[in-house]
Amino acid sequence: MASVDKELIPRGLRRSSTGRFLLWILPWVALLVFGLYSAGLCLVKGLNQTNMDNRFAFGLWIFLDLTVIALGAGAFFTGFLLYILKIEELRSVINSAVVIGLVCYSGAVAVLAVDVGQPLRSWFTFWYPNVHSMLTEVTFCISCYLTVLLIEYLPIVLRNRKLHEVPSFLVFEYELHKVTYVLAGVGTFLSFFHQGSLGGLYGVLRGRPFAFREGLAVWPSTFFLFILSAAAVGPSFILLTTWLVEKLSRKRLVRPDVFRRLARISGLLLAVYVLAKAVDTLVWINRTSPETGFQAWQYYSWKPFGTWILFAEIVLFGLLPALVMLTPRLRAHTGWLVTAAAMACCGVALNRFVMTVQTLALPTLSFDPFLSYYPSWQEVGTFLAVVAYGVLVYSFSFRYFNLFPEERELRLEAAAQEEEELALAGGY
Amino acid sequence: MLPWNYGFDWNAGHIIFLGAFYAVLTVVATTVAWAAIHSSSALRSGQAEAIRWHSDFESLPGSDRVCRHVLTGEFLDRKCQRAFCCGGCETHARLIERHPLPRVEEPEEEVCGMTFPLDRFYHRGHTWARLDRDGTVLVGLDELGTRLLGRPDLLRLPKPGRRVHSNGAAFRVRRRNAKVRVMCPVDGKVVETGSAERGWYLRIKPDSKNVQAFQHLLRGAEIKPWIQREMERLQLALTAEGAAPALADGGVPVSDIAAAYPDADWDAVCGDMFLEG
Repeated sequence: MASVDKELIPRGLRRSSTGRFLLWILPWVALLVFGLYSAGLCLVKGLNQTNMDNRFAFGLWIFLDLTVIALGAGAFFTGFLLYILKIEELRSVINSAVVIGLVCYSGAVAVLAVDVGQPLRSWFTFWYPNVHSMLTEVTFCISCYLTVLLIEYLPIVLRNRKLHEVPSFLVFEYELHKVTYVLAGVGTFLSFFHQGSLGGLYGVLRGRPFAFREGLAVWPSTFFLFILSAAAVGPSFILLTTWLVEKLSRKRLVRPDVFRRLARISGLLLAVYVLAKAVDTLVWINRTSPETGFQAWQYYSWKPFGTWILFAEIVLFGLLPALVMLTPRLRAHTGWLVTAAAMACCGVALNRFVMTVQTLALPTLSFDPFLSYYPSWQEVGTFLAVVAYGVLVYSFSFRYFNLFPEERELRLEAAAQEEEELALAGGY
Repeated sequence: MLPWNYGFDWNAGHIIFLGAFYAVLTVVATTVAWAAIHSSSALRSGQAEAIRWHSDFESLPGSDRVCRHVLTGEFLDRKCQRAFCCGGCETHARLIERHPLPRVEEPEEEVCGMTFPLDRFYHRGHTWARLDRDGTVLVGLDELGTRLLGRPDLLRLPKPGRRVHSNGAAFRVRRRNAKVRVMCPVDGKVVETGSAERGWYLRIKPDSKNVQAFQHLLRGAEIKPWIQREMERLQLALTAEGAAPALADGGVPVSDIAAAYPDADWDAVCGDMFLEG
């Protein structure tokens, strides 16, 4: 088994022993099994297994969906930057970005399937769509983009050492790689719309003044804010995961310049997002909300959702990481970069939490109570299954496919440096 | 969702939305179909070996893709963009016209204790090609290649009559954990197979004996700087694989390098040296 495993590992790359790898995946497999059991209960017995109800129809799962879809935006945005804007430096992270995108989107679709239920009738959404719902656009775009991601993932799989020996796989991978820019373009188009529609979904909720926003034509401001925040955080998440994989595998995978480039792009977009979000919040506080009969301060009088959450979302996890990533002196330190990227990712997660959970928790009618919601263990189990699934797919991909094309070159460069140091130490 | 289904209405919104959705599906399906059709035609026309080389070349580290004119000092740094197919390279043609290779009087070049006869052309994947009097081309491993593979555990030569392609696999060798495809320097048909003892592995009837057919191969004054660079690459590859650097200046590689480094990942070292990604 160990020899088969070794033969599948890309040439020249060092990976842990088969035993260590099995030890690493074992707890994740256990978590996945537990999660699948939880999801199975929800599918078989129904949503009574969850703590959601008619009032709290969106809970942990939708929060998870929105967050992973925003974080997974790194796939489309990196593809767009590399194949359309020709930022060649990003070639060293594109494979990893595709895997992360695939994990995020397939995980989101799987959780949606559990949430919606009746998976055997999933085709109904295409055949009998509610053409007035933003969710229809979301469903169409996500399923299309997941298909695109699967096609983009195919060349990565087919480049596996063993599969590459098969001429038809080799040639198909080569030809498919030639037209990747078309898929990148399609992915950008699809992502742009479904990120926006997910935001628009909240902005059109007239019955929920906390989320309701004005906008441009049929698109509320949240449509644009969701696109912008996803594009801003996508590169940060790629940076964060790459750094994490470097630490866990104890290998250099990309050049520091790539980290800095990702941070600069992320910082710039995050700054634009923070500005747009601040303007949107001011308009909402001073006009939109009062016009619906609510003063903004009323929303923040329900603990624990105080004004701190607004501060955390815009300043702590928005402005601050943007400034760190835009300051060349701070950007030069990986520690600062990684902290800023993690903060930006937390910011987008907090924003999706606020839009999903805080929106539904707040009362909108005089007889409405403030509702608290805690997910059931089945909901948490399903959530954890997605996390475990993501870790497993990424771990297998990292082990058997060349996710970071510069890895071997960086090792050779490190060897050259080592030799130079030895020569200097030896005095010749 | 189609026009005859529930909920569809012939209005601008529905038509634009569905139009965009089906346009996306069409583009994705067409792209995949395009790749499949081109793959099928590439396989039928026998381009698989050329594609394999291009694919391997793209995945080589930058240091392995340097232009031959860097070896001779005409450039300080230049990466080859043509997968070592110098035939169609304008820069190569211009440089060769301006600075023809100096003539080397000696019949062979001695580099790092290894001998490289100059009556032949060398492929950067460590094979050589020598035009024989009968118009056939003999193909063998150069001395560095021979020392890297030592006594192979397994040698798989193509049968006479089989076509081989320049930059494609000439033959395959297994040594320790390394499975190496040794690259063919010319296009042609195998007429006879040899062995390590005979000093060559293949006798090929080349498709062309024209100078163009050998333009991508190194020769004469290019050999010494190339081998010196190859020795540096070998040293780096060994260091990267955890083998103690033992090829310092003036050192001579042993006759079986693989045996001298039992702990090194020989597959990775051979991948680097034989240009297999």
